[in-house]
Amino acid sequence: MKRTLIFAYVALLLGPASYAQQDSPARPPMEAQAPRPALPSRSSPPAQAVVPVPVPIAPPKPNGPVQKSLVRITATAVEPDYKAPWNAGAIQRGVGAGFVIEGNRILTNAHVVSNSRYLTVERDSDPNKYPAKVLFIANDCDLALITVDAPNFFKNMVPLKFGGIPSLESTVSAYGYPIGGERMSVTTGIVSRIDFQLYTHSSIDQHLAVQISAQINPGNSGGPVMQNGKVIGVAFQGYSGDVAQGVAYMIPTPVINRFLKDVSNGHYDKYVDLAISYSKLQNPAQRKFLGLKDDNRGVLVSTVVEAGPSANVLRSGDVLLTIDDHPIASDGNVELEGEPADFQEVVERKFKGGSVKLDIWRDKQPMTVKIEFVKTAWPYLIQGHSYDVRPRYVLYGGLLFQPLNLDLLEANRSTDLRLRHFFEYFILEQLYLQHPDVIVLANILPDPINTYLAPYRGGIVDEINGKKIRTLDDLANSFAEAPERIVIRMIGDGPPLVLDRNKVEAARERIKTRYNVLKEQNLEEQPGSNTPKQANKI
Amino acid sequence: MVLKHSVITLGIVLVAATGALAKKESAVPATLSKQKQLALVRVNVTGQSYDYFRPWQKKAPISKRALGAVLSKGRVLVTADLVTNQNYVELERAESGEKTAAKVQVIDYEANLALLEPVEKTFLDGITPLEITPDTVVGDRLAAWQLEPTGALVATEGLVTTVQMTPYPIDIGEFLTYRVSIPMQYRENSYTVPLVKNNKLAGLLLRYDPRSQLLDAIPAPIITHFLKEAENQNYRGFPAAGFSFFPTRDPELREFSGETGKGGGVYITNVEPNTPAMKAGLQIGDIVTAVANNEIDQNGNYVDPLYGKIEFTNLLTAHAYSGDVVPFRIQRSGKPMQLNMTLEHRDAKDYVSPPYNFDQPPRYYVVGGLIFQELSRQYLKEWGPAWQREAPQRLVYLDRFQSELFPQGNRRVVILSQVLPANSTIGYDDLSYLTVTRVNGKEIKSLGDLAEAVKQPIEGGFIKIETEEDPKQIELDAAQVTAEAPNLQENYGISALHRLD
Repeated sequence: MKRTLIFAYVALLLGPASYAQQDSPARPPMEAQAPRPALPSRSSPPAQAVVPVPVPIAPPKPNGPVQKSLVRITATAVEPDYKAPWNAGAIQRGVGAGFVIEGNRILTNAHVVSNSRYLTVERDSDPNKYPAKVLFIANDCDLALITVDAPNFFKNMVPLKFGGIPSLESTVSAYGYPIGGERMSVTTGIVSRIDFQLYTHSSIDQHLAVQISAQINPGNSGGPVMQNGKVIGVAFQGYSGDVAQGVAYMIPTPVINRFLKDVSNGHYDKYVDLAISYSKLQNPAQRKFLGLKDDNRGVLVSTVVEAGPSANVLRSGDVLLTIDDHPIASDGNVELEGEPADFQEVVERKFKGGSVKLDIWRDKQPMTVKIEFVKTAWPYLIQGHSYDVRPRYVLYGGLLFQPLNLDLLEANRSTDLRLRHFFEYFILEQLYLQHPDVIVLANILPDPINTYLAPYRGGIVDEINGKKIRTLDDLANSFAEAPERIVIRMIGDGPPLVLDRNKVEAARERIKTRYNVLKEQNLEEQPGSNTPKQANKI
Repeated sequence: MVLKHSVITLGIVLVAATGALAKKESAVPATLSKQKQLALVRVNVTGQSYDYFRPWQKKAPISKRALGAVLSKGRVLVTADLVTNQNYVELERAESGEKTAAKVQVIDYEANLALLEPVEKTFLDGITPLEITPDTVVGDRLAAWQLEPTGALVATEGLVTTVQMTPYPIDIGEFLTYRVSIPMQYRENSYTVPLVKNNKLAGLLLRYDPRSQLLDAIPAPIITHFLKEAENQNYRGFPAAGFSFFPTRDPELREFSGETGKGGGVYITNVEPNTPAMKAGLQIGDIVTAVANNEIDQNGNYVDPLYGKIEFTNLLTAHAYSGDVVPFRIQRSGKPMQLNMTLEHRDAKDYVSPPYNFDQPPRYYVVGGLIFQELSRQYLKEWGPAWQREAPQRLVYLDRFQSELFPQGNRRVVILSQVLPANSTIGYDDLSYLTVTRVNGKEIKSLGDLAEAVKQPIEGGFIKIETEEDPKQIELDAAQVTAEAPNLQENYGISALHRLD
């Protein structure tokens, strides 16, 4: 039984693939069959027929001339190289879709344009490729807005309008540029499920997502999913065919609308979060112990993250009874617009600077508290993928020190038990309080001065010459001010790593030249693409 | 180190390799077949290991067949893993098929050796016992002795390629090992295979990798040590010093430790509490330069008269006995010093997470469907050979870094292992592998603590369990737990709700 659970977990984490089409020109078609033409558009009014279940699926309802709104986006991206962080990284080309919305903007997925250095868009019946630029990018909900400066580009384009959340079993059509041909493709399916899902682009954020049975494939990413002539979602991820069949997801309009509203002030502030963990309160004895009524209400606060907005407001053992006056059921659900939803959905709709009101039950007494979303719980960020940032590192004596995060772990394919523990329990054990940066001796560039140091690789720096190292800046400062002998203590019971400053200085140029190291340290993640001025790196 | 992972114990390997190896038989050397009464008996064992996921029961019985080497005084030598968790051991004369029950006289799980004695004292009469030859060196040829179903000898010859320190199946410390390159053949009784030189016992098979045809053997010096120790009234086991070390090849580390020049020595990285090393006053940062008057080089090797360079831990296992006083020459901050270390065996129970537990049932405590157990490597090994990857990683972490995380030692980690769905555990069904910190307000450092604490419910008649991980707290209704207990036992077939001895 235990093994089954583990496999399921792996499948969930690895399964959903983001559907930007990478290097599409080189990839052969998956099956040797004639490319299917795009469905002809019809002008008859949409029929209101109920979709029969099970399949065959009802013919798709026409959504109008989507070609006049759809664009094909080609992004040339530079993926940071965490193994040689001084290098620019690998250059990759990907194809995705996007569509025009009001205000001369094009909506697409963040993963289509993240890390991009050059963007072009193309449209139907126009031989030109138009250079484009990123306006806003939201990696936490996989959405981005781009635009084209060419004065006439938007002239003949038709901005699409948004609808609501489609009902279960209703038919939807997905538009995009998936593998199998060059021109626009349409696939149809029905709405299979509406639930919270992991967004694999960051691999840490969970939001509402709608599962559809329409086939979406690499290249569909960022394309509109439509119903009755309106956009009801953006296709973004799904399972590959060897994991699950016909499981694709789209980002529904509540998430899209939140993104558009967030950026309306000129910058993207990201999602806000209570930064707590909670447990369901379904056990009668536990309810009685807490002095709760037998009314199926309330969830128990387990952990309050100190770096989050709930610190000093909520504490472990509190019971959350209502959120903005919505009663919270003992399984964590609230009723929003007549539908059950996770109570965190109430927080999902908030913005930075906003607040939420909670009725809580503490020590058998009712209380009302307000949580203001001023600070964001930054420790979560190391557990997700980063984009449009330069890896931070310090190279000293051929020793490459890097802060621990998901990108570093994946680049090194690390299975080190201690590193994995620091990664997994960074938040729950509040490790970030002692180690805001968990600094790893990630690699060693061999040189006579470090020839005996290989066993230290993978270690986590604790202190240097008796001084605790909390951040990469601390480390860089320690090296800069170091006396003749540098004694680095790693976490755990290994020996100290000892360096002779004069020898390191003497080796600097040698190591830089031998390994073609352009820069010995980078302490700043450059501002991300969500800062409009920096966004366009063309 | 690579070897440790690629080599598997023979018992497992040979079952899989039946077909492939059965055909490759070599002729029996004429000189050996002349011997009339081989000093070998068949050993048939039925064993049952404990089920750590359902700790009130044992797993289905498994039968193993092996060979035992007949030694003097009517004793039969086998590997410990053959007879661990045994219910019944039987000796069988190879030539006649005559059988008798046997009992385990002494067993050492760490050295993987056990002595059996037949219940019927005269059973081994007529067999000339094997002598032991302790002088095997690299380049010697050893014969692996197996038996045909007829009782005839099958001998395969191999070459000793290396003598080195390697971890034994119970992975605590390393022991002397012979590595032999040998094309072994499958026989159903291949669990314990004697290795023989000039008709004298040179070693016992420890593990065999049929692909590389490399065999690791428990060498005669370890067997001799075991036999000598076994003559004591109370078997004490091999000594353990309780420190870890690191080479001093790095000149910067040497200079930092106050060493100059090209001298030898190892850097002490850890000294565990309540161990001979700590009692002797060894400290982190000391450089150990000689042990038992043998100089140690920068890699931790001394020059053995028989084997040449070999890791100095051999001086503390094969060469020394519990109770021996071993002189350590050290450098502390550049000053030479001598420490005298009185060696002792370290019992599995002296660890926070015991490295092994055999022939004894696991401790557990069931409260209203919550199953509490103590963390041990035996528990983690329920996840199979890849347990370090497959078992809950938090528990693997606690086990691996136990001396660092619990520097005081002298405690256990109590875990809420699983939850059996019942009325009192509604809503808790998904909880597993949580570490328990307090019960009813009392700190929990062993299952005994938990058993005591559970008996004293807090105000309102609740049992409150606090965990390190989410959900942090779990409450049960003490009266409901008691009332529901008979039902729980009945439904899940739990013979007893707890075992603490």
